[in-house]
Amino acid sequence: MRLEIKKITKKFKGKIAVDDFSMEVEAGECVGLIGPNGAGKSTLIKIISDIIDPSAGEVFLDGKKITDMKKEIGYLPQYPNFFQWMTAFETLMFMGQLSGLKKEELKKEIPHILSKVGLSKEGNSRIRTFSGGMKQRLGIAQTLLHKPSLIVMDEPVSALDPVGRREVLNIIQEIKKDTTILLSTHILSDAQEICERFVIIKNGQKIEDTTIHELLNRHSKNKIKIDMAEASLKWLEKVKTYNYVKNVEIVNTTATIELENIFLNKNRLLASALENNVDILKFEIDNDTLEDIFLKLVV
Amino acid sequence: MTNFAILTKKEFVQMIRDFKIIWFPLVFVFLGITQPVISYYLPSILKAMGGNQGITIDPSFAAQTGGEVLAATLGSQFDQLGVIIIVVSLMGAVQSDKANGMLAFILTRPVSVTQYFGAKLMSHYLFAAAAVTIGYLISYVYVNLLFANVNFIDMIVALLFYLVWVFFIVSFTTMVSTLFNSQGIIALIAIIVLLVGRMLVGISPVLNLINPATMSTHAAEVLITGIINPKLTANVLITLILSFLAMMISKDWISKKKYDNK
Repeated sequence: MRLEIKKITKKFKGKIAVDDFSMEVEAGECVGLIGPNGAGKSTLIKIISDIIDPSAGEVFLDGKKITDMKKEIGYLPQYPNFFQWMTAFETLMFMGQLSGLKKEELKKEIPHILSKVGLSKEGNSRIRTFSGGMKQRLGIAQTLLHKPSLIVMDEPVSALDPVGRREVLNIIQEIKKDTTILLSTHILSDAQEICERFVIIKNGQKIEDTTIHELLNRHSKNKIKIDMAEASLKWLEKVKTYNYVKNVEIVNTTATIELENIFLNKNRLLASALENNVDILKFEIDNDTLEDIFLKLVV
Repeated sequence: MTNFAILTKKEFVQMIRDFKIIWFPLVFVFLGITQPVISYYLPSILKAMGGNQGITIDPSFAAQTGGEVLAATLGSQFDQLGVIIIVVSLMGAVQSDKANGMLAFILTRPVSVTQYFGAKLMSHYLFAAAAVTIGYLISYVYVNLLFANVNFIDMIVALLFYLVWVFFIVSFTTMVSTLFNSQGIIALIAIIVLLVGRMLVGISPVLNLINPATMSTHAAEVLITGIINPKLTANVLITLILSFLAMMISKDWISKKKYDNK
């Protein structure tokens, strides 16, 4: 289902947390909401899942107000905290019934979902005994239970150790085939792994809405980096004479070559290297890493 | 099952898991036994402890009627320690759900605030009422054993009046639990307001009219005199209105999502 966020503003006692934020998410898309701590990600997520009301603006799911569409939303809080005295099975039963599912249906469905998130053995353990990663996985199970068309996740992996992170990322990879996902994170590599589209938020405002490729291309520096065997270095003298080459820097056996128009000319450069029997160890576009771009955008 | 039924069931299961289902009624049983037993043995205790020097036991002192003793169970035990126990057992009712995020979490499901709050109030009231009733009935049995028999109808009528006061105690405490975020503050406010309200009964007729604690004295009056006070209807109505108001305030507070504005 299509999610529309229209001109959302949220103020807390005079402090603006979200400032005139609009965006649309098409059905089946996976969008990563990225920003530094305190940028307003959680607030926005909570507004989308109808936990807090915006000061201004509205959120629509499939053209209807979000309040009337709760059945269609699966929400995973940043720190899912269930009733300590319930077992995993009871928790899913409780949340599932509140979502309007039948008891008999749930009895069949819950073991299935528990095994999907790797908790089949823990079905009858109390939440009290669960680790953070297990709670997170149970939280995901809870969001999937009623087969929502939109899943909203607030920092699903930020609080987990590398093992837990891997597990949860794999589960998200799996579920994104079936639903629209909106997740917030401040770890770019996670978002990069799961989502095609990024929305970067800073001080409550949307400052970027783009895909990973676009972002990388936009911030590419028109430079090619080539590692080669020492014997091939003399090829670089030739390269300097090409009219589409602006500059050549050599550090040890690595040459950084600045080109006129990288998309048109990078293959010409490669062709020349092959013609001259250059012993190439590595040939790459010298991009900023996502980390660099993120820092540039939000700092 | 409807959401209301699911949430009510959850509250009861929680009471079982927390063993509240055992200790809470036990407290009231204990309170119920205390008054008749102490009243019955007090003269002997005083005699034994005080020896013979300078203490005279007024013979008319011991001549309490059964109704008076049962009324004292309500007025001296339930209205003091009983109220404190109810408040303490209820102070986290909504507060703990707010604190650990379960309230917000539950409301992301298609659950209305009325269902959530209604289930809370219903389950806790039914449970508190049951505990009070058990303690009261035990007290009734002891009174009948140790003192004169109390009229059965009077006993039931008095209980019903008293349960109206309990309804106010529960809805007021749940409201305070909704509005404030610290258990200590919640307990303090609820206990002070309820106990002061109870102490103020009888000070002025106007105050009596709007004071829900007057319901407790109506119950005592029935037990002692067997006559129902004509002001009862007004008191019942006002107590129910005040309880309803407390419910509305809580519901409104949750609906406006004030619980998440940190």
